[in-house]
Amino acid sequence: MPVGSEGAVLAVALVALLALGAPISVAIGVAAAVSLCAAIPAAPALATVAQQIATGLDSFALLAIPLFILSGHLMNRGGAARRLIDLGKELVGALPGGLVWVEVLGCVLFGAISGSAVATAAAVGGVMAPRMEQDGYGRDFGAALSVAAATTGLLIPPSNVLIVYSLASGGVSVAALFFAGYVPGLLIALLVGVTAVGLAARRGRLPRARGFAMGRLGKSAAAALPSLLLVVVVMGGIVAGIFTATEAAGIAVLYALVLALAVHRELRPRELPRVLVEAAATTGVVLLLIGASMALAWTMAYAGIPQAVARLLLDAAAGPVALLLALNLLLLAIGTFLDMTPAVLLFTPMFLPAAVELGIDPVHLGIVMTLNLCIGISTPPVGTLLFVACGVSGTTLGRVVPYLAPLYAALLLALAVVTAVPELSLALPRALGLLGD
Amino acid sequence: MQGARAVVDRALEALLAALFAALTLDVGWQVATRFLLGRPSPWSEELARFLLIWLGLLGASYALGRRMHLAIELFARRVQWRRWSRRFTLASTLAFALAVLGAGGTHLVALQLELGQRSAALAIPMGWVYLALPIAGGLMAFYTLAELAEGSRPEERG
Repeated sequence: MPVGSEGAVLAVALVALLALGAPISVAIGVAAAVSLCAAIPAAPALATVAQQIATGLDSFALLAIPLFILSGHLMNRGGAARRLIDLGKELVGALPGGLVWVEVLGCVLFGAISGSAVATAAAVGGVMAPRMEQDGYGRDFGAALSVAAATTGLLIPPSNVLIVYSLASGGVSVAALFFAGYVPGLLIALLVGVTAVGLAARRGRLPRARGFAMGRLGKSAAAALPSLLLVVVVMGGIVAGIFTATEAAGIAVLYALVLALAVHRELRPRELPRVLVEAAATTGVVLLLIGASMALAWTMAYAGIPQAVARLLLDAAAGPVALLLALNLLLLAIGTFLDMTPAVLLFTPMFLPAAVELGIDPVHLGIVMTLNLCIGISTPPVGTLLFVACGVSGTTLGRVVPYLAPLYAALLLALAVVTAVPELSLALPRALGLLGD
Repeated sequence: MQGARAVVDRALEALLAALFAALTLDVGWQVATRFLLGRPSPWSEELARFLLIWLGLLGASYALGRRMHLAIELFARRVQWRRWSRRFTLASTLAFALAVLGAGGTHLVALQLELGQRSAALAIPMGWVYLALPIAGGLMAFYTLAELAEGSRPEERG
Protein backbone atom coordinates (compact mmCIF):
# COMPACT_ATOMS: atom_id res chain seq x y z
CA MET A 1 0.00 0.00 0.00
CA PRO A 2 1.46 3.41 -0.92
CA VAL A 3 2.35 5.84 1.86
CA GLY A 4 -0.23 8.36 0.74
CA SER A 5 -3.37 6.23 1.01
CA GLU A 6 -2.55 4.62 4.35
CA GLY A 7 -1.58 7.99 5.73
CA ALA A 8 -4.88 9.38 4.48
CA VAL A 9 -6.92 6.62 6.19
CA LEU A 10 -5.01 7.29 9.39
CA ALA A 11 -5.38 11.06 9.31
CA VAL A 12 -9.10 10.99 8.46
CA ALA A 13 -9.85 8.41 11.18
CA LEU A 14 -7.87 10.31 13.81
CA VAL A 15 -9.33 13.73 13.04
CA ALA A 16 -12.91 12.39 12.86
CA LEU A 17 -12.60 10.51 16.16
CA LEU A 18 -11.00 13.48 17.94
CA ALA A 19 -13.45 16.04 16.58
CA LEU A 20 -16.49 13.98 17.57
CA GLY A 21 -15.28 13.87 21.17
CA ALA A 22 -13.78 10.40 21.69
CA PRO A 23 -11.19 10.33 24.50
CA ILE A 24 -7.83 11.21 22.91
CA SER A 25 -6.14 7.92 23.81
CA VAL A 26 -9.12 5.93 22.46
CA ALA A 27 -9.11 7.99 19.24
CA ILE A 28 -5.40 7.34 18.77
CA GLY A 29 -5.72 3.60 19.48
CA VAL A 30 -8.70 3.16 17.13
CA ALA A 31 -6.99 5.19 14.38
CA ALA A 32 -3.93 2.92 14.65
CA ALA A 33 -6.16 -0.18 14.44
CA VAL A 34 -8.22 1.13 11.49
CA SER A 35 -5.18 2.09 9.42
CA LEU A 36 -3.39 -1.20 10.09
CA CYS A 37 -6.58 -3.17 9.29
CA ALA A 38 -6.57 -1.36 5.92
CA ALA A 39 -3.14 -2.84 5.20
CA ILE A 40 -3.20 -6.37 6.68
CA PRO A 41 -5.94 -8.84 7.82
CA ALA A 42 -7.91 -7.78 10.89
CA ALA A 43 -6.95 -10.50 13.38
CA PRO A 44 -3.15 -10.00 13.24
CA ALA A 45 -3.65 -6.23 12.87
CA LEU A 46 -5.63 -5.94 16.11
CA ALA A 47 -3.21 -8.23 17.96
CA THR A 48 -0.28 -6.13 16.69
CA VAL A 49 -1.83 -2.86 17.86
CA ALA A 50 -2.59 -4.43 21.27
CA GLN A 51 0.97 -5.69 21.50
CA GLN A 52 2.39 -2.28 20.56
CA ILE A 53 0.33 -0.66 23.33
CA ALA A 54 1.79 -3.09 25.88
CA THR A 55 5.38 -3.03 24.61
CA GLY A 56 5.14 0.77 24.40
CA LEU A 57 4.83 0.71 28.18
CA ASP A 58 7.47 -1.99 28.66
CA SER A 59 10.30 0.41 29.47
CA PHE A 60 12.38 1.02 32.56
CA ALA A 61 12.82 4.70 31.63
CA LEU A 62 9.02 5.22 31.53
CA LEU A 63 8.78 4.00 35.14
CA ALA A 64 9.99 7.42 36.21
CA ILE A 65 6.64 8.90 35.17
CA PRO A 66 4.30 7.06 37.62
CA LEU A 67 6.87 7.46 40.36
CA PHE A 68 7.15 11.24 39.81
CA ILE A 69 3.32 11.38 39.68
CA LEU A 70 3.12 9.54 43.01
CA SER A 71 5.78 11.71 44.67
CA GLY A 72 3.92 14.78 43.39
CA HIS A 73 0.65 13.55 44.92
CA LEU A 74 2.42 12.80 48.20
CA MET A 75 4.16 16.21 48.28
CA ASN A 76 0.86 17.88 47.58
CA ARG A 77 -0.96 16.01 50.34
CA GLY A 78 1.92 16.93 52.62
CA GLY A 79 1.21 20.63 52.03
CA ALA A 80 4.25 21.36 49.84
CA ALA A 81 2.45 23.84 47.56
CA ARG A 82 1.36 26.00 50.49
CA ARG A 83 4.86 26.04 52.01
CA LEU A 84 6.51 26.92 48.69
CA ILE A 85 4.00 29.72 48.07
CA ASP A 86 4.59 31.07 51.59
CA LEU A 87 8.31 31.14 50.89
CA GLY A 88 7.64 32.90 47.59
CA LYS A 89 5.52 35.49 49.37
CA GLU A 90 8.34 36.39 51.77
CA LEU A 91 10.93 36.42 48.97
CA VAL A 92 9.20 38.47 46.28
CA GLY A 93 5.95 39.68 47.88
CA ALA A 94 7.44 43.13 48.51
CA LEU A 95 7.99 43.77 44.78
CA PRO A 96 5.42 45.88 42.90
CA GLY A 97 2.74 43.45 41.79
CA GLY A 98 3.94 41.18 44.56
CA LEU A 99 1.33 38.46 44.17
CA VAL A 100 2.13 38.04 40.45
CA TRP A 101 5.73 37.24 41.33
CA VAL A 102 4.59 34.99 44.18
CA GLU A 103 2.50 32.95 41.74
CA VAL A 104 5.32 32.77 39.17
CA LEU A 105 7.92 31.78 41.75
CA GLY A 106 5.48 29.31 43.31
CA CYS A 107 5.08 27.63 39.89
CA VAL A 108 8.86 27.53 39.37
CA LEU A 109 9.44 25.95 42.79
CA PHE A 110 6.55 23.52 42.50
CA GLY A 111 7.65 22.68 38.94
CA ALA A 112 11.00 21.72 40.40
CA ILE A 113 9.42 19.09 42.62
CA SER A 114 6.77 17.83 40.18
CA GLY A 115 7.06 16.60 36.62
CA SER A 116 3.88 18.06 35.25
CA ALA A 117 2.52 21.49 34.32
CA VAL A 118 -1.03 20.34 35.01
CA ALA A 119 -0.13 19.31 38.58
CA THR A 120 1.64 22.65 39.02
CA ALA A 121 -1.36 24.65 37.81
CA ALA A 122 -3.71 22.61 39.99
CA ALA A 123 -1.58 22.90 43.14
CA VAL A 124 -0.33 26.49 42.87
CA GLY A 125 -3.31 27.94 40.98
CA GLY A 126 -5.69 26.39 43.50
CA VAL A 127 -3.94 27.97 46.50
CA MET A 128 -3.40 31.31 44.76
CA ALA A 129 -6.86 31.88 43.22
CA PRO A 130 -8.56 33.23 46.38
CA ARG A 131 -5.51 35.34 47.26
CA MET A 132 -5.41 36.89 43.79
CA GLU A 133 -9.06 37.81 44.20
CA GLN A 134 -8.43 39.31 47.68
CA ASP A 135 -5.66 41.53 46.34
CA GLY A 136 -7.92 42.83 43.56
CA TYR A 137 -6.36 41.09 40.56
CA GLY A 138 -9.47 38.96 39.99
CA ARG A 139 -9.85 35.23 39.51
CA ASP A 140 -9.72 35.33 35.72
CA PHE A 141 -6.41 37.14 35.66
CA GLY A 142 -5.08 34.72 38.29
CA ALA A 143 -6.17 31.70 36.26
CA ALA A 144 -4.56 33.10 33.09
CA LEU A 145 -1.33 33.75 34.97
CA SER A 146 -1.28 30.26 36.46
CA VAL A 147 -1.64 28.75 32.97
CA ALA A 148 1.31 30.68 31.55
CA ALA A 149 3.51 30.28 34.63
CA ALA A 150 2.76 26.56 35.07
CA THR A 151 4.37 25.80 31.69
CA THR A 152 7.69 26.22 33.52
CA GLY A 153 6.80 22.96 35.31
CA LEU A 154 7.43 21.02 32.10
CA LEU A 155 10.82 22.57 31.39
CA ILE A 156 12.18 22.79 34.91
CA PRO A 157 13.10 19.22 35.85
CA PRO A 158 11.89 16.68 36.64
CA SER A 159 9.64 16.71 33.59
CA ASN A 160 7.44 13.88 32.34
CA VAL A 161 7.42 15.23 28.79
CA LEU A 162 11.21 15.27 28.57
CA ILE A 163 11.18 11.60 29.68
CA VAL A 164 8.69 10.88 26.88
CA TYR A 165 10.91 12.76 24.38
CA SER A 166 13.91 10.73 25.49
CA LEU A 167 11.89 7.58 24.77
CA ALA A 168 10.61 8.84 21.39
CA SER A 169 14.06 9.95 20.27
CA GLY A 170 15.50 6.52 20.92
CA GLY A 171 17.63 7.39 23.91
CA VAL A 172 18.66 11.06 24.13
CA SER A 173 19.98 11.37 27.71
CA VAL A 174 17.25 12.23 30.22
CA ALA A 175 19.87 13.84 32.48
CA ALA A 176 21.02 16.15 29.66
CA LEU A 177 17.41 17.05 28.79
CA PHE A 178 16.59 17.75 32.45
CA PHE A 179 19.46 20.19 32.90
CA ALA A 180 18.81 21.75 29.49
CA GLY A 181 15.34 22.76 30.73
CA TYR A 182 16.42 25.04 33.60
CA VAL A 183 17.40 28.21 31.68
CA PRO A 184 14.47 28.12 29.21
CA GLY A 185 12.12 27.46 32.15
CA LEU A 186 13.44 30.47 34.08
CA LEU A 187 13.30 32.58 30.92
CA ILE A 188 9.57 31.80 30.58
CA ALA A 189 9.05 32.67 34.26
CA LEU A 190 10.74 36.04 33.77
CA LEU A 191 8.93 36.96 30.54
CA VAL A 192 5.55 35.83 31.85
CA GLY A 193 6.09 37.68 35.15
CA VAL A 194 7.07 40.94 33.46
CA THR A 195 4.15 40.73 31.03
CA ALA A 196 1.66 40.00 33.82
CA VAL A 197 2.92 42.86 35.96
CA GLY A 198 2.66 45.16 32.93
CA LEU A 199 -0.92 44.01 32.39
CA ALA A 200 -1.84 44.57 36.01
CA ALA A 201 -0.18 48.02 35.99
CA ARG A 202 -2.23 49.07 32.99
CA ARG A 203 -5.35 48.23 34.95
CA GLY A 204 -3.94 50.29 37.83
CA ARG A 205 -3.55 47.42 40.26
CA LEU A 206 -0.10 46.79 41.62
CA PRO A 207 -0.44 46.14 45.33
CA ARG A 208 2.55 44.80 47.22
CA ALA A 209 1.60 41.53 48.88
CA ARG A 210 3.45 42.36 52.10
CA GLY A 211 6.54 44.10 53.40
CA PHE A 212 9.91 42.39 53.48
CA ALA A 213 10.98 41.00 56.83
CA MET A 214 14.07 38.91 57.39
CA GLY A 215 12.57 37.05 60.32
CA ARG A 216 9.49 35.86 58.44
CA LEU A 217 11.63 34.95 55.43
CA GLY A 218 13.83 32.76 57.61
CA LYS A 219 10.81 31.06 59.14
CA SER A 220 9.10 30.31 55.83
CA ALA A 221 12.40 29.19 54.29
CA ALA A 222 12.84 26.73 57.15
CA ALA A 223 9.30 25.42 56.57
CA ALA A 224 9.88 25.00 52.81
CA LEU A 225 13.41 23.60 53.13
CA PRO A 226 12.47 19.90 53.45
CA SER A 227 10.36 20.17 50.27
CA LEU A 228 13.15 21.94 48.39
CA LEU A 229 15.73 19.41 49.55
CA LEU A 230 13.89 16.88 47.37
CA VAL A 231 15.15 18.82 44.33
CA VAL A 232 18.72 18.63 45.62
CA VAL A 233 18.48 14.89 46.24
CA VAL A 234 16.84 14.08 42.88
CA MET A 235 18.77 16.40 40.56
CA GLY A 236 22.00 16.16 42.53
CA GLY A 237 21.85 12.37 42.35
CA ILE A 238 21.18 12.45 38.61
CA VAL A 239 23.94 14.93 37.75
CA ALA A 240 26.47 13.19 39.96
CA GLY A 241 25.71 10.01 38.05
CA ILE A 242 24.64 8.29 41.27
CA PHE A 243 21.28 7.23 39.92
CA THR A 244 19.17 7.18 36.78
CA ALA A 245 16.01 9.27 36.39
CA THR A 246 13.87 6.22 37.28
CA GLU A 247 15.88 5.46 40.40
CA ALA A 248 15.75 9.16 41.34
CA ALA A 249 11.96 9.05 40.97
CA GLY A 250 11.85 6.02 43.29
CA ILE A 251 13.94 7.91 45.85
CA ALA A 252 11.63 10.92 45.44
CA VAL A 253 8.63 8.74 46.37
CA LEU A 254 10.33 7.43 49.52
CA TYR A 255 11.47 10.95 50.46
CA ALA A 256 7.99 12.44 49.90
CA LEU A 257 6.47 9.58 51.90
CA VAL A 258 8.71 10.19 54.91
CA LEU A 259 8.06 13.94 54.61
CA ALA A 260 4.27 13.60 54.50
CA LEU A 261 3.99 10.87 57.16
CA ALA A 262 6.74 11.64 59.64
CA VAL A 263 8.05 15.21 59.21
CA HIS A 264 5.00 17.31 58.32
CA ARG A 265 2.50 14.71 59.60
CA GLU A 266 -0.21 15.94 57.26
CA LEU A 267 -0.91 12.48 55.86
CA ARG A 268 -2.11 9.58 58.00
CA PRO A 269 -0.99 6.06 57.11
CA ARG A 270 -4.57 4.89 56.56
CA GLU A 271 -5.04 7.60 53.90
CA LEU A 272 -2.15 6.12 51.94
CA PRO A 273 -4.20 3.65 49.81
CA ARG A 274 -6.39 6.55 48.68
CA VAL A 275 -3.33 8.52 47.53
CA LEU A 276 -2.03 5.43 45.70
CA VAL A 277 -5.36 5.01 43.87
CA GLU A 278 -5.49 8.71 42.90
CA ALA A 279 -1.94 8.53 41.58
CA ALA A 280 -2.74 5.26 39.77
CA ALA A 281 -5.70 6.89 38.00
CA THR A 282 -3.55 9.86 36.88
CA THR A 283 -0.88 7.37 35.81
CA GLY A 284 -3.47 5.39 33.83
CA VAL A 285 -4.52 8.46 31.85
CA VAL A 286 -0.91 9.32 30.99
CA LEU A 287 0.20 5.74 30.25
CA LEU A 288 -2.76 4.85 28.02
CA LEU A 289 -1.99 7.99 26.05
CA ILE A 290 1.63 6.86 25.77
CA GLY A 291 0.77 3.24 24.90
CA ALA A 292 -1.77 4.22 22.24
CA SER A 293 0.59 6.84 20.78
CA MET A 294 3.40 4.27 20.63
CA ALA A 295 1.06 1.93 18.74
CA LEU A 296 0.12 4.71 16.31
CA ALA A 297 3.79 5.71 15.89
CA TRP A 298 4.56 2.05 15.07
CA THR A 299 1.73 1.92 12.51
CA MET A 300 2.98 5.12 10.94
CA ALA A 301 6.54 3.80 10.77
CA TYR A 302 5.15 0.58 9.21
CA ALA A 303 3.54 2.72 6.50
CA GLY A 304 6.79 4.64 6.00
CA ILE A 305 5.26 7.97 6.97
CA PRO A 306 8.04 9.38 9.22
CA GLN A 307 10.69 8.69 6.57
CA ALA A 308 8.57 10.37 3.90
CA VAL A 309 7.93 13.43 6.07
CA ALA A 310 11.62 13.67 7.05
CA ARG A 311 12.60 13.60 3.37
CA LEU A 312 10.00 16.26 2.61
CA LEU A 313 11.32 18.46 5.42
CA LEU A 314 14.92 18.09 4.26
CA ASP A 315 13.99 18.96 0.68
CA ALA A 316 12.00 22.01 1.74
CA ALA A 317 14.30 23.45 4.42
CA ALA A 318 17.38 25.34 3.28
CA GLY A 319 19.19 25.10 6.62
CA PRO A 320 18.79 24.51 10.35
CA VAL A 321 17.16 27.91 10.94
CA ALA A 322 14.56 27.36 8.22
CA LEU A 323 13.92 23.84 9.50
CA LEU A 324 13.42 24.98 13.11
CA LEU A 325 11.10 27.73 11.93
CA ALA A 326 9.07 25.26 9.86
CA LEU A 327 8.92 22.75 12.76
CA ASN A 328 7.78 25.46 15.16
CA LEU A 329 4.99 26.66 12.89
CA LEU A 330 3.87 23.08 12.27
CA LEU A 331 3.93 22.21 15.98
CA LEU A 332 2.09 25.37 17.01
CA ALA A 333 -0.72 24.32 14.68
CA ILE A 334 -0.64 20.68 15.80
CA GLY A 335 -0.41 21.64 19.47
CA THR A 336 -3.73 23.45 19.44
CA PHE A 337 -5.66 20.21 18.88
CA LEU A 338 -3.31 17.38 19.89
CA ASP A 339 -2.21 16.82 23.48
CA MET A 340 1.47 17.09 24.32
CA THR A 341 2.37 13.44 24.90
CA PRO A 342 1.02 12.07 21.61
CA ALA A 343 2.45 15.06 19.76
CA VAL A 344 5.94 14.30 21.09
CA LEU A 345 5.65 10.56 20.43
CA LEU A 346 4.25 10.96 16.90
CA PHE A 347 6.36 13.84 15.61
CA THR A 348 9.78 13.24 17.15
CA PRO A 349 10.47 10.32 14.74
CA MET A 350 9.64 12.65 11.82
CA PHE A 351 11.55 15.72 12.98
CA LEU A 352 14.62 14.26 14.67
CA PRO A 353 16.34 12.64 11.63
CA ALA A 354 15.98 15.82 9.57
CA ALA A 355 17.17 17.97 12.49
CA VAL A 356 20.23 15.79 13.16
CA GLU A 357 21.06 15.81 9.46
CA LEU A 358 21.16 19.63 9.53
CA GLY A 359 23.31 19.73 12.67
CA ILE A 360 20.66 20.55 15.29
CA ASP A 361 21.40 19.03 18.69
CA PRO A 362 18.72 16.46 19.71
CA VAL A 363 18.67 17.98 23.22
CA HIS A 364 17.98 21.44 21.78
CA LEU A 365 15.22 20.01 19.58
CA GLY A 366 13.63 18.36 22.63
CA ILE A 367 13.53 21.64 24.55
CA VAL A 368 12.16 23.56 21.55
CA MET A 369 9.41 20.95 20.97
CA THR A 370 8.47 20.92 24.66
CA LEU A 371 8.33 24.70 24.94
CA ASN A 372 6.35 24.89 21.71
CA LEU A 373 3.81 22.31 22.86
CA CYS A 374 3.51 24.13 26.21
CA ILE A 375 1.78 26.85 24.20
CA GLY A 376 -0.45 24.18 22.65
CA ILE A 377 -1.70 22.91 26.02
CA SER A 378 -2.48 26.51 27.02
CA THR A 379 -4.71 27.20 24.00
CA PRO A 380 -8.24 26.02 23.15
CA PRO A 381 -9.76 23.80 21.79
CA VAL A 382 -7.46 21.22 23.39
CA GLY A 383 -5.68 22.92 26.26
CA THR A 384 -5.31 20.48 29.12
CA LEU A 385 -3.46 23.02 31.20
CA LEU A 386 -6.00 25.74 30.43
CA PHE A 387 -8.94 23.51 31.44
CA VAL A 388 -7.37 22.48 34.73
CA ALA A 389 -6.43 26.06 35.63
CA CYS A 390 -9.99 27.26 34.91
CA GLY A 391 -11.34 24.38 36.99
CA VAL A 392 -9.26 25.00 40.12
CA SER A 393 -9.74 28.77 39.92
CA GLY A 394 -13.49 28.42 39.56
CA THR A 395 -13.79 30.39 36.32
CA THR A 396 -14.52 29.69 32.65
CA LEU A 397 -12.56 29.53 29.43
CA GLY A 398 -14.25 32.54 27.84
CA ARG A 399 -13.39 34.81 30.76
CA VAL A 400 -9.74 33.72 30.99
CA VAL A 401 -8.70 33.83 27.33
CA PRO A 402 -8.72 37.67 27.00
CA TYR A 403 -6.13 37.88 29.79
CA LEU A 404 -4.13 35.10 28.19
CA ALA A 405 -3.56 36.81 24.82
CA PRO A 406 -0.60 38.98 25.98
CA LEU A 407 0.78 36.04 27.95
CA TYR A 408 0.75 33.91 24.77
CA ALA A 409 2.90 36.65 23.25
CA ALA A 410 5.37 36.27 26.14
CA LEU A 411 5.48 32.49 25.60
CA LEU A 412 5.99 32.94 21.85
CA LEU A 413 8.84 35.36 22.54
CA ALA A 414 10.42 32.78 24.87
CA LEU A 415 10.01 30.15 22.13
CA ALA A 416 11.67 32.39 19.54
CA VAL A 417 14.61 33.15 21.84
CA VAL A 418 15.10 29.52 22.91
CA THR A 419 14.88 28.37 19.27
CA ALA A 420 17.34 30.98 18.02
CA VAL A 421 19.91 30.56 20.79
CA PRO A 422 20.72 26.84 21.26
CA GLU A 423 23.24 27.66 23.99
CA LEU A 424 20.42 28.69 26.36
CA SER A 425 19.49 25.01 26.41
CA LEU A 426 22.89 23.42 25.86
CA ALA A 427 25.32 25.43 28.00
CA LEU A 428 24.28 23.94 31.35
CA PRO A 429 24.27 20.25 30.36
CA ARG A 430 27.54 20.79 28.48
CA ALA A 431 29.17 22.40 31.51
CA LEU A 432 28.08 19.39 33.56
CA GLY A 433 29.52 17.00 30.98
CA LEU A 434 26.12 15.52 30.12
CA LEU A 435 26.26 16.09 26.34
CA GLY A 436 28.08 13.10 24.94
CA ASP A 437 30.16 15.12 22.48
CA MET B 1 -25.70 -1.83 37.62
CA GLN B 2 -24.88 0.66 40.40
CA GLY B 3 -24.13 -2.16 42.83
CA ALA B 4 -21.98 -4.07 40.34
CA ARG B 5 -20.09 -0.89 39.54
CA ALA B 6 -19.33 -0.24 43.22
CA VAL B 7 -17.99 -3.79 43.61
CA VAL B 8 -15.75 -3.45 40.54
CA ASP B 9 -14.57 -0.03 41.74
CA ARG B 10 -13.58 -1.32 45.19
CA ALA B 11 -11.81 -4.38 43.80
CA LEU B 12 -9.93 -2.31 41.22
CA GLU B 13 -8.93 0.27 43.83
CA ALA B 14 -7.47 -2.42 46.08
CA LEU B 15 -5.59 -3.94 43.14
CA LEU B 16 -4.24 -0.57 41.96
CA ALA B 17 -3.02 0.40 45.44
CA ALA B 18 -1.28 -2.98 45.75
CA LEU B 19 0.28 -2.73 42.27
CA PHE B 20 1.58 0.79 42.88
CA ALA B 21 2.97 -0.15 46.31
CA ALA B 22 4.65 -3.22 44.81
CA LEU B 23 6.12 -1.11 42.00
CA THR B 24 7.56 1.43 44.44
CA LEU B 25 9.03 -1.26 46.70
CA ASP B 26 10.45 -3.07 43.67
CA VAL B 27 12.24 0.05 42.37
CA GLY B 28 13.45 0.72 45.94
CA TRP B 29 14.82 -2.83 46.04
CA GLN B 30 16.47 -2.27 42.65
CA VAL B 31 18.24 0.86 43.93
CA ALA B 32 19.21 -0.82 47.20
CA THR B 33 20.72 -3.88 45.53
CA ARG B 34 22.70 -1.72 43.14
CA PHE B 35 24.20 0.29 46.00
CA LEU B 36 24.67 -2.50 48.53
CA LEU B 37 25.59 -5.40 46.25
CA GLY B 38 27.18 -3.38 43.46
CA ARG B 39 24.83 -4.72 40.79
CA PRO B 40 21.07 -4.44 40.42
CA SER B 41 19.12 -7.65 40.54
CA PRO B 42 17.95 -8.48 37.00
CA TRP B 43 14.55 -9.76 38.10
CA SER B 44 13.51 -6.57 39.88
CA GLU B 45 14.10 -4.51 36.72
CA GLU B 46 11.97 -6.88 34.65
CA LEU B 47 9.26 -7.13 37.32
CA ALA B 48 9.06 -3.31 37.47
CA ARG B 49 8.45 -3.12 33.70
CA PHE B 50 5.70 -5.74 33.85
CA LEU B 51 4.07 -4.06 36.86
CA LEU B 52 4.10 -0.83 34.84
CA ILE B 53 2.10 -2.45 32.02
CA TRP B 54 -0.49 -3.72 34.49
CA LEU B 55 -0.63 -0.48 36.47
CA GLY B 56 -0.96 1.59 33.28
CA LEU B 57 -3.73 -0.48 31.70
CA LEU B 58 -5.75 -1.12 34.88
CA GLY B 59 -5.24 2.50 35.99
CA ALA B 60 -6.53 3.61 32.59
CA SER B 61 -9.64 1.41 33.04
CA TYR B 62 -10.30 2.91 36.48
CA ALA B 63 -9.75 6.42 35.09
CA LEU B 64 -12.29 5.67 32.33
CA GLY B 65 -14.89 4.83 35.00
CA ARG B 66 -14.16 8.20 36.58
CA ARG B 67 -14.29 10.03 33.20
CA MET B 68 -10.76 11.28 33.67
CA HIS B 69 -9.52 10.72 30.11
CA LEU B 70 -8.97 13.84 28.06
CA ALA B 71 -11.20 14.58 25.11
CA ILE B 72 -11.86 17.48 22.78
CA GLU B 73 -15.33 18.67 23.71
CA LEU B 74 -15.92 20.69 20.58
CA PHE B 75 -19.41 19.40 19.84
CA ALA B 76 -20.30 18.33 23.36
CA ARG B 77 -20.73 21.98 24.36
CA ARG B 78 -23.70 22.48 22.07
CA VAL B 79 -26.80 21.03 23.61
CA GLN B 80 -28.35 19.77 20.36
CA TRP B 81 -25.16 17.85 19.45
CA ARG B 82 -24.38 16.59 22.91
CA ARG B 83 -26.46 13.44 22.68
CA TRP B 84 -24.89 12.38 19.38
CA SER B 85 -21.39 13.22 20.54
CA ARG B 86 -21.97 11.16 23.67
CA ARG B 87 -23.26 8.17 21.74
CA PHE B 88 -20.33 8.35 19.36
CA THR B 89 -17.87 8.66 22.24
CA LEU B 90 -19.29 5.63 24.01
CA ALA B 91 -19.38 3.62 20.76
CA SER B 92 -15.75 4.39 19.89
CA THR B 93 -14.64 3.61 23.45
CA LEU B 94 -16.53 0.32 23.27
CA ALA B 95 -14.85 -0.46 19.93
CA PHE B 96 -11.42 0.25 21.42
CA ALA B 97 -12.16 -1.84 24.52
CA LEU B 98 -13.68 -4.84 22.73
CA ALA B 99 -11.85 -4.95 19.39
CA VAL B 100 -8.36 -3.62 20.11
CA LEU B 101 -7.77 -4.53 23.77
CA GLY B 102 -10.31 -7.38 24.00
CA ALA B 103 -10.06 -9.29 20.71
CA GLY B 104 -6.54 -8.12 19.79
CA GLY B 105 -5.29 -8.72 23.33
CA THR B 106 -6.89 -12.18 23.58
CA HIS B 107 -5.42 -13.18 20.22
CA LEU B 108 -2.01 -11.97 21.38
CA VAL B 109 -2.21 -13.81 24.72
CA ALA B 110 -3.25 -17.06 22.98
CA LEU B 111 -0.45 -16.71 20.44
CA GLN B 112 2.21 -16.04 23.09
CA LEU B 113 1.06 -18.97 25.25
CA GLU B 114 1.02 -21.25 22.21
CA LEU B 115 4.57 -20.20 21.28
CA GLY B 116 5.65 -20.66 24.90
CA GLN B 117 7.41 -17.27 25.04
CA ARG B 118 8.90 -16.59 28.47
CA SER B 119 10.50 -13.47 29.93
CA ALA B 120 14.31 -13.33 30.13
CA ALA B 121 14.93 -12.97 33.86
CA LEU B 122 11.84 -14.27 35.66
CA ALA B 123 10.83 -16.85 33.02
CA ILE B 124 7.21 -15.70 33.32
CA PRO B 125 5.14 -16.75 30.26
CA MET B 126 4.73 -13.55 28.23
CA GLY B 127 1.06 -14.46 27.73
CA TRP B 128 0.47 -13.69 31.41
CA VAL B 129 2.10 -10.30 31.07
CA TYR B 130 -0.09 -9.42 28.09
CA LEU B 131 -3.18 -10.69 29.94
CA ALA B 132 -3.47 -7.10 31.26
CA LEU B 133 -4.71 -6.10 27.77
CA PRO B 134 -7.91 -8.19 27.55
CA ILE B 135 -8.63 -7.61 31.26
CA ALA B 136 -8.37 -3.84 30.76
CA GLY B 137 -10.56 -4.23 27.65
CA GLY B 138 -13.21 -6.04 29.69
CA LEU B 139 -13.13 -3.43 32.44
CA MET B 140 -13.36 -0.55 29.97
CA ALA B 141 -16.30 -2.22 28.22
CA PHE B 142 -17.97 -2.71 31.61
CA TYR B 143 -17.57 0.95 32.57
CA THR B 144 -18.78 2.10 29.16
CA LEU B 145 -21.89 -0.07 29.39
CA ALA B 146 -22.49 1.11 32.96
CA GLU B 147 -22.34 4.66 31.68
CA LEU B 148 -24.84 3.84 28.92
CA ALA B 149 -27.23 2.24 31.40
CA GLU B 150 -27.00 5.19 33.79
CA GLY B 151 -27.38 7.74 30.99
CA SER B 152 -30.62 6.17 29.77
CA ARG B 153 -32.47 7.27 32.89
CA PRO B 154 -34.20 10.56 32.09
CA GLU B 155 -33.05 12.49 35.18
CA GLU B 156 -29.39 11.73 34.48
CA ARG B 157 -26.88 13.66 32.43
CA GLY B 158 -26.52 17.42 32.44
